Amino acid sequence: MSNEAVVMKNVCKDFKVLNRHEGLKGSIQDLFSRDYKTVSAVKDVTLTVNRGEIIGYLGPNGAGKSTTIKMMTGVLEPTSGELLVNGKVPYKNRTENCENIGVVFGQRSQLWWSLPLIESFKLLRDLYMVPEKDYEEMIELYRSLVDIEPILHKPVRQMSLGQRTLSDILAAFLHNPAIVFLDEPTIGLDVSMKAKIRELILGLNKEKNTTVILTTHDMGDVDALCRRIIIIDEGTKIYDNDIEHLKNYFGSYRTLKIRRTDDTWEEYLIDEKTTDVMDVIMEKQKEKKIKDVKILEISTEEVIKKIYEGGAR
Amino acid sequence: MQKRGLIFYARMYRKILVQDLKSKMSYRADFVISTFGMIMTNLSGFVTFLILFRNFPTINGWDYYHMLFLYGFSLVALTPVQCFFDNNWNLRFMVQSGDFIKYCFRPVNVFFYFISEVFDVKGLGQLAFGIGTIVYAWVHIGIPVTPLVIVKLIVYLLTASLFMIALMNFAAATCFWIKGSGYVMVIMFRFKDFAKYPASIFSGIFKVIFTFIIPIAFIAYYPSLVILQPGNVPPLSWISPLFGIVFVYLSYKFWMLGVRKYDFTGS
Repeated sequence: MSNEAVVMKNVCKDFKVLNRHEGLKGSIQDLFSRDYKTVSAVKDVTLTVNRGEIIGYLGPNGAGKSTTIKMMTGVLEPTSGELLVNGKVPYKNRTENCENIGVVFGQRSQLWWSLPLIESFKLLRDLYMVPEKDYEEMIELYRSLVDIEPILHKPVRQMSLGQRTLSDILAAFLHNPAIVFLDEPTIGLDVSMKAKIRELILGLNKEKNTTVILTTHDMGDVDALCRRIIIIDEGTKIYDNDIEHLKNYFGSYRTLKIRRTDDTWEEYLIDEKTTDVMDVIMEKQKEKKIKDVKILEISTEEVIKKIYEGGAR
Repeated sequence: MQKRGLIFYARMYRKILVQDLKSKMSYRADFVISTFGMIMTNLSGFVTFLILFRNFPTINGWDYYHMLFLYGFSLVALTPVQCFFDNNWNLRFMVQSGDFIKYCFRPVNVFFYFISEVFDVKGLGQLAFGIGTIVYAWVHIGIPVTPLVIVKLIVYLLTASLFMIALMNFAAATCFWIKGSGYVMVIMFRFKDFAKYPASIFSGIFKVIFTFIIPIAFIAYYPSLVILQPGNVPPLSWISPLFGIVFVYLSYKFWMLGVRKYDFTGS
């Protein structure tokens, strides 16, 4: 097997959308009109994901992340360009592609709602034709990584959101796929569950060398899991490199935190190239008394925010 | 790589079914109520039918017991669609909410994976009712019981059920293109009521529609003629199994086309 898990070359995806007209007259017009406009969800994206990598695939809502993932999983066909997943064209070999990927899509459980987790696992084992030995090994690995006993015999519908997400992630790795797609896996979870899930993903990635493509809005996920991130906005790739590199790019930025005498914190993002931090502090000091001051490196969260706002373009 | 053939799918279906039944049993109240509901529905339909045909002794040459036979025949023929293809009713909700996409992530046929998820036990009550009605009518009409007739009965019952399965597949798959597909399904499902009457009572244009366009005449009328009028079977009845297979195949293709054409927008 080659070293590339995913190769995308100049991939575009257009959707045809009916032009809607306003008002009652417009609605009647819409009934008969074939007035379509083309919306480009993904524009000319080229990228490569190597085996064993954990990639943070980021972008604001509606940037084209889900569309990209749907193309990689073989659900959608690219309008143009070349897309290979595990060396194959996913849309043309959907079932074959599905054998080598695992998917967790947001808060939607893919497990059988009324079955205990272990029964779902057994059905998945049969669906993916996983040899008994590999299956047992995987369950053992799960046992060593998380405490699965409490959820193993629980029907999915009775689980908490955290348990369900955990179950879905375990189910996605069960057939030892080459690539796992995780779409906002930690959305809506509490802090300890988030940590648990991140640990699990890291552990599975390390043990099985599984490529993980992660979309998230939680920069905690990115900090904990990804070394490399790809950012897409309005369908175009705007960043593809290490996180560290990105932080260096914004290296002159500092987060200034000021505590007032009434114990409220104020935050300012300052570019040292253009503004002097001390000047800002002095200025703030004039406004109101300052009790404490902290100067921090820019956080990933703020870096991403900057980029979404157009900082890197 | 191993191939997933018919045996794989049959075995998989059985496993999913067993699990599904196990979990259904765990909701005992739900199980009892839905079974009770099904019996009542059938009973009321049956009583209406009795009252109606007690008063009109023959319809277009069809007497009371022949009508009963047709009625029972259509009930049995509706069982497979009720039991095995019930998830079609959920399709439009899944498609609209975006949940449908989960069926596309498994290395198995999407239609199979979707349909296998639900087995509706309620259909079994209908099956028992239908068989009872057929037997009752059979005895009164006095059709000879030979192995050949039994085989014919089974073959043509299966044929009839194929048409209903295909109709519901077509109706459900419209949701990939239009929003109001619920109406299409309800209308199709209502049409099945016409199947309980001999198609010969419909005149001209309706007969053509119900034979070739929305082929509900095949759900009971044409197939049952093989048993009811063994001396005078129209050619359409003989070839109905072939029609049924082609029709189901087309409906499956239509369904899968919907999956491929659908945009899966939003996340």
